[in-house]
This record gives sequence, C-alpha cells and structure tokens, in this order.
Amino acid sequence: MKMINFCKLLVLLAAFFATPGFAESSKVLIVNSDNTVYRYETIATEFKKVLQQNAYQWTEFNLDRHANAEEELKRLIQQENPELIYSIGTKAYSLARIHAHNKKMLFSAVINWRRLDIDAGTYGVANELSSAQEISLLRYFFPTIKKIGLLYNDKFSREYVETIKKDASALGINIVTQSVNDAQEIGEALDQLLPKIDMFWIISDPIVLSGKDSVRQIFQAAEQQKKPVYAYSDVFIEHGAVLAISADIATIGRQSANLAMMMDKDKVPGGTVQVPAGSTITLNKCVLDALQLKFNQDALDSVNKIVGCAKND
Amino acid sequence: MINYLRTLLVGALVLNSSAFAKSLEPNDDLERELAYLAAERQVVVTASKMEEHVDKTIATTTVITQDDIAHIGARNLIDVLRLVPGIGITQTQFGWREIEVRGVKTVLSEKVQIMLNGHPLDHNLQNAGSAWVYDDLPVDTIKRVEVVRGPGSALYGANAFLAVINIITLNAKDLNGVQTSAGWGSFDTQQYRASWGKQFDNSAEAAVHFNFTDTDGINSPIPADSLSAKGLNSSAPGKSQLTEGRYDLEWQLGYQDFKLDGRYINKKAGAFFGAATVLSDDRTQQDYNDYFLRLSRAWKINDNFTVDTQVFHDFFSYDNIWQTASSQFIRTGLQDTRTGGEIQANYHVSDAQTLISGFSYAKEQQSNLIDQAGPDPAHLTAALPSTEERRRERWGVYVEDVWDPLKNLRLSLGARYDRYNDFGGTFNPRMGFNWEFIKNYSLKFSYGTAYRAPAFGEFGLVNNPVLLGNPTLKPEEVKTFETGVIAHPVSGLTTQATYYHSAINQIISQVHVQAAISQYDNSGSVIAEGVELEMRYDFDGNLQGSYVSANHVLQHSIQLGRQLADVPRQRTNLTANWAFDNTWSSFAHVLIKGDTLRDLGDTRDSVPGYALLDLGLLGKNMFGKKVDVSFNVYNLFDKRYYDPAPASLNFVGDYQMAGRAFFGHVSLKF
Repeated sequence: MKMINFCKLLVLLAAFFATPGFAESSKVLIVNSDNTVYRYETIATEFKKVLQQNAYQWTEFNLDRHANAEEELKRLIQQENPELIYSIGTKAYSLARIHAHNKKMLFSAVINWRRLDIDAGTYGVANELSSAQEISLLRYFFPTIKKIGLLYNDKFSREYVETIKKDASALGINIVTQSVNDAQEIGEALDQLLPKIDMFWIISDPIVLSGKDSVRQIFQAAEQQKKPVYAYSDVFIEHGAVLAISADIATIGRQSANLAMMMDKDKVPGGTVQVPAGSTITLNKCVLDALQLKFNQDALDSVNKIVGCAKND
Repeated sequence: MINYLRTLLVGALVLNSSAFAKSLEPNDDLERELAYLAAERQVVVTASKMEEHVDKTIATTTVITQDDIAHIGARNLIDVLRLVPGIGITQTQFGWREIEVRGVKTVLSEKVQIMLNGHPLDHNLQNAGSAWVYDDLPVDTIKRVEVVRGPGSALYGANAFLAVINIITLNAKDLNGVQTSAGWGSFDTQQYRASWGKQFDNSAEAAVHFNFTDTDGINSPIPADSLSAKGLNSSAPGKSQLTEGRYDLEWQLGYQDFKLDGRYINKKAGAFFGAATVLSDDRTQQDYNDYFLRLSRAWKINDNFTVDTQVFHDFFSYDNIWQTASSQFIRTGLQDTRTGGEIQANYHVSDAQTLISGFSYAKEQQSNLIDQAGPDPAHLTAALPSTEERRRERWGVYVEDVWDPLKNLRLSLGARYDRYNDFGGTFNPRMGFNWEFIKNYSLKFSYGTAYRAPAFGEFGLVNNPVLLGNPTLKPEEVKTFETGVIAHPVSGLTTQATYYHSAINQIISQVHVQAAISQYDNSGSVIAEGVELEMRYDFDGNLQGSYVSANHVLQHSIQLGRQLADVPRQRTNLTANWAFDNTWSSFAHVLIKGDTLRDLGDTRDSVPGYALLDLGLLGKNMFGKKVDVSFNVYNLFDKRYYDPAPASLNFVGDYQMAGRAFFGHVSLKF
C-alpha cells in the first residue's frame, strides 16, 4: 500500500466523526443514592435551586425510599423519558447507567470516578479536587515535605491513587502508598508506613475511613510518630489534621446544574469530568506549632480559615 | 500579614483542647462524612465478576499491557512473546516461527492455543496450530496479551495444551475516535494501522481496525542445500526469501446486549529455506486467508445469573506454491471451516463464589483441495491429492467453580468433557488453590490435564510415498502439576517462583513402518519440568514509570532419556525501563539463551547460546497527548546468532538470524 492510499483511508475514516444531534427538551431526572446522607442531600438541593432559577423541569428519585429501586427506576426512566439523568453517588450512577440507554448522563458525589465505566455522552463533577493542585499547594505550604504517605483500598481508590502518584512525581514529591483490605489492617499498615514519610494524607477512601475507630487510629498513630496529617476534608481538622483542602459540597451541586444546562444546550466544555470548582483551605495553627513544622509564611494569604488552640481551663 | 491576623482571629473561634484530639467526641460533620463514605462503600464496581487479579489466579499467568508493548517497541506478536518467561521463539524452514513453551516446541506450534478476544484461532484443520498467520500479528491494536502457561483444556477444550495466549484488542471505548500509526524499519519493513471507534447514544458501539505490513525479510545467508552439497546446480549458496505482506481487518460491533465481531487476515509470504531439502528461490509463494465471524449475546437473568451465548464461523484457506527441486514445483491448497455455537451460564453464588458451566458444539469441514505439480509455477498440472476432504463434529460440556472460602484462600475446580465423532471422548479436569499464607505472600498449586486433537493431515495424509496418515489416532495428552510462590516483599516489587512438571503422552509422531516409510502414530512421551523465576520492581517517586524486571527459566525436557533437541536448558530476559519524565522513557532488553543440543544421530555441535541487547526510546502523549513516537534498535551489537536447523537440513548449518535492525514508529490520536 502506498502512503497516498493510507492517507485516503484516514480521510475516509475521519468522515465517520459525526456528532449526535442535540436535545431540545429540558426534563431532568435526579437519581439520589440516599437522600438521608448529608452530602447527597446538599448537592441535590443546590442542584434543584439552580434548575428552578432557570425554569427547568425535574423529577426526583431517591433510591433509599424504594424497596425495589432498580425496577422502579427502570420504569420511571421509560415513563418520564428524561433528556438527562443526574446521578448523585455511585449507587445511583451504577443503576441509572444500566437503564439509561441513549440518555445523557451526569454524575457527582462518586468516590474515585475513574473506576466507573463511563460511556460517551456521560459527564460528571468529581468528588475529589485536582490532585495536582493539592500537591502544588502542599509543596507551597510545606516546602520541605518530600515524602507523603497514604492508605487506600485497591477496589475503591486504585485509579485515584495512581493519578496522585503520577501528579506528585511530576512535582518532585514521592508518594508512598500502602493498600489495605479492611479496617483491621489499618493499624499495622500505619506502623509500616508512618516511619517512611514526612506527612500522611487522608483520602476519601471508604475502607480506610470505615468508622470513627479508623479515624482515631490514624490520628493517634500520627501523633505518636509526630507526623502531620493532611486531609481532603476540613472535618478532620478538629481531630488533628494540620491542613485540609475541602471541596465545597454546595458548589458541586451548583456546578453540576450548570453543567447539566450546558449539556442540554450541547455546549459542553472539554473534558468529561470536571474537578470541583469551590474549595476551602483550612490550617490548624495549633498542630502546626506543636509539630514545629516548617511552613511557608507567604502561603498564609491563601488560607481561608485558621484554627488555633483552645485555652485550657 | 493583615490577612493572616484576620484569618487567625476568625479561626480562633474554632478551638481545640489540644493540638491533636485525644478522643473523638460526637461530631456531626465527621459523622456525616462517614455516613457518606459508608453509602459509597456499598457499591464495588468491577469490569467483570470473573476477571481475576493475576495474583489470585491458580494459573501461571503473564500479562503484557499496551504500555509494555509500546516500551518494548514490538513490531509484531513474536516480539512480545519472546519476553514472556518460559516462551522462546525460533525460525522454521518454511517461514513462520515456532513458539516454544516450557521446553517443548514443534514446527507447527500446535500445542499452543492462540485466541483473539477469547475466540480460538486454530483454524487450520489440516495441520493445526495458529502460527501460520498469527506469529507476525501487528500489535498496534492490542490492548493486552494474556499468556497462561500450563494446560487449559478444562476450560478452552482442544489444543490449549501447553499454553493459552489470549490477545485482547482495543474496543470502541478504548478508541473513542481515530487512531493511526505507521512504522518503518530495517529490511524495508513498513507497517500502517488505522483504527476507529465510537460509542453511540443508543448503546450501539463500533470499532474497526485495519493493519497493513510489508517486509523484504531478513535475507539470511543459506550456504548450502542438498543439491549444492552434491555439487549440483542449485540456488545455494543464496539467501532466504522470506518476504511477507499481510493486511487484516478487524471489527467489533455492539448494540445493547448483542455483539458481532471478527477478523479477516490475508498473508502472503515467501519461504525461509523451503519445504524440501532444496533452497527455494523467490517463486515459492504462500498465500493464506483466515477469518472468523462471531455473533454473541449476553443475557442478564438477574444480578447473580447471566448467560453468554455465541454462534461463530471460522474460515482458513491456503494456496501455496512450493519449490521442491530446481525445476519442480507443487501447488497445494484447501479450505477449512468450523461452524458452531456455545452457551455459558455464569452463576454468582455469593461474593465469594462463582460457578460457570457451558456447552459447545462445532462442525468442521475440509474441502476444495488443490494439488498440482510442474516444472515451474506457470506450468502446473493436476497431481494426485495429498490429503482428503473430511468432516468432523464435536461437542463439549464444562463446569468451573471459583470459590474463596476464606479471604486469603481461593479454590478453583473445573472439568470438561469433549467428544469427537472421529476419535471419541476425552475428559480433562483442572484444580488448584491460591493461598495468601502471609500478607503479600501467596502459594499456588494446580493440577490439570489437556489434550491436542489429531489434525486432519495426521488422520488422512494420502499419496505420500514416505509418510502415511493414520485414522486410528488418539489425542495427545498432558498432565501437569505446578506450584509456586508469588510475593510482594516490599512496595513496588513483585517476585514469583514456579516449578512445573508435565508428562506428555500419546505424542503423535512419525513412526517408521517400513524402510523409508513412516506413519503417524501415538508413540512416545516427554517429561518436561522446570523452574521459572520472575521479578519486577516498579520505581516510585521521581522515577515513577520506571521499572526493572527479570525472568530466568531452567527447563529440562526429556524424551527417551535424552534432553529434547533444539530447545535450550536455560533462558533469561532482563529488562529496564527508565522514565525521564512523563513523556520520554528509554527501554533496554537483554535476552540470554543457553546452548541447544542436537537430535539423536545429528553429529553437529550444539547450537551456541547467545546474548542480545535491544534498546528503545519512547515519547508518549506529545502535542496535546495526540502523538507517540518510538525508535528501537534490535541486536545493538550486531551479534551473529543462529536458530537451530533440523537434522534433516544438517548441510545448511543453522539459520542465521537478523543482525542489528532498526524500527521507528509514530502513532497519532484524533
């Protein structure tokens, strides 16, 4: 085959690049994994507020309120024939995807979205912030930190951890990881991991953070070994995390709504999954001083909230 | 600083009793967060319930990913396979390559089952094996190659005897657009590839791959043939004429639960030496056509019970002209078809146990025989047929149970019964366990049997004055047990040691029945045993993406008290990949092969062992992640090395393999 023939073939194949037609209706089906869960509920509420402001119609389906949720969801999708299905949480996405067929899909509040099967026409707002940004900020705040450790479960967080490692490597930070199969392994894993690292990173892994005991174990071990803890959420500041960069939950709901409206108008920006647009940086000055960590004072301007020590009565 | 004081003031409203909390008091925010994580924990997403992690399988498995293939700079499938522990690649006199597995190799590689996306490719019913058209399969469209060493008949049926090589290609989701690639290299080699894939809104999806390869071949010097050895006129001394040109088209079309896939291949080739004892000139031409078409559907009965069904049609034909003397050519050809179906039920008994069972049926037919002979390819006349038109029907039932009675223990038990209308039935069990006895240390054990069905050519070779077929042949049998330890002693390091012992019986071989006349018969046995050692270390931190790996095999294959001819006792692969940054990486591979002994009665010295060094440079995700480029040098030091020629061609010496060779490759994504 001559090169010219090969080029002709490319041109022929390129002609297949026909994008699907755009939807005109504005009906949205919101599928919520469990409306009693604060994060899901907050996101749904903010999402609906924006839709209301823009005169969109929606139907809401909460999986926790239906005994035979999958069958009922399937029937609802057939009856309502929504233009777009917005899934909040992994359970909602997993079920909705099975019955969505040709519907546009949007998701949020999904732990490690990279583990999902994502079809063309599916968009999302990630639960996690950009790890590259987080690591850049960590390096900015703590210039001497070189090794950061984290625990994770392979089933839930493998892809996310791989992304973290890749991003960290590009920024000259070494990520040391240890996988755990269940909460019982956390103690031993911490014993092995903490001596090797300068800082411990709590990621939103459902196995590592399987209960208060796990959280207690992490902070007790970190305190004993005088290792600072960085967390993905400011709920851990109160328990001893030195720094937290949290995605703003309400913003995720609003961001999802704006993305849904753009999908409806077929004006979706590049990238199938957006990182959360709003975040809060919280610094625990008390822990910072107690551990005598080298902190870049210039970085304080970037901090949204600083927590000090309580006075002992 | 003003901001600092302000935020400190605001933040001081939230106070702790100490730097680190001593206990976790009721905390709404944390409880809310943990409730959310608990809700997310309910759903585990995996691609397939039967997909097993390599660590957890009972089989000895090597997986080569698309990323690995890019680093290797592989030009075709054999470039990938030669890095796999326990596998060796050598040249045949005809042109295609032999795949040696665990110290056993045959010219047709019929004891290795190659599959494409799970579909068996042993379409040549006359001579068995898949190496005819798949040895030089292009690799640009491959997502993954899974090599399972050991018997696989309990699950896959016929010919999964010594190993199963499953080639997984890119699907619509993997492509999501157009990808093209081109490669150029030594021996006037050129490769082109175009792939397109798209998932549509209505659950339809399509992927199409087109590959084209052309090469002049390595032009190895052939110092002599049977004529020149006698001082008669011949093409020798001369050069091998292994020109090869091939194109193929693969398609994967899906709609809802239906899938239609297949691949068509046309391959034209010369010969390395030839089919006789006379060096072929460029008038020897092999022409192969091969395709399969498969329609499958997955049925979901409920969350725990699914059924996979498929019907398929396989086709293989050849139309070859072989030079058998200076002015003597034969033309042979035939068509083989296999049509059948399979139904497989998958029952997810619990999170810890999955049961699968199935039934398959196939009808095989050989027809449209071509037999001609003449003084040159333009003047051939009808000749007596060399084989027969044949039909065969076969069916099989199988069951496999994969059960994790404990979190750290996997048991696997399976069996398959196959029945053929020509040679009867064969029963093949497989069992084993994988026990993680200490965290990150697993012990594997497995036992299984497998069979290789007699090929049509072995049943019904006719009008051959020196070799007869045998309609009473039984299948070859192998019983294998293997045990090994797989360990992750430190983060990033994987090590594995495996011992195997295979007893191959009822080997179909050519047995002398009269002076100068042989017949196929079940005769002889081979004991193959060995140790395979593997390690790989993936670097972390600044060296993320870099790795070093090594595998070393010690193998001992005995027939009639002697080490098998033409296979080495040991082979080592050393590889290192150094990622300079997220784009550029370099790759080095050293292959060290031990001496190989000669056959009984062959007085030549052993074929000397050798060490080869390959180097590669890969640039990935350039220009907005759209362009990958690579450049590889094979046999950097231009080492002169040889693959063994059989005793029947002892006057040739051995087959001199390629010296230093180059290959450059560009891949584009749109």
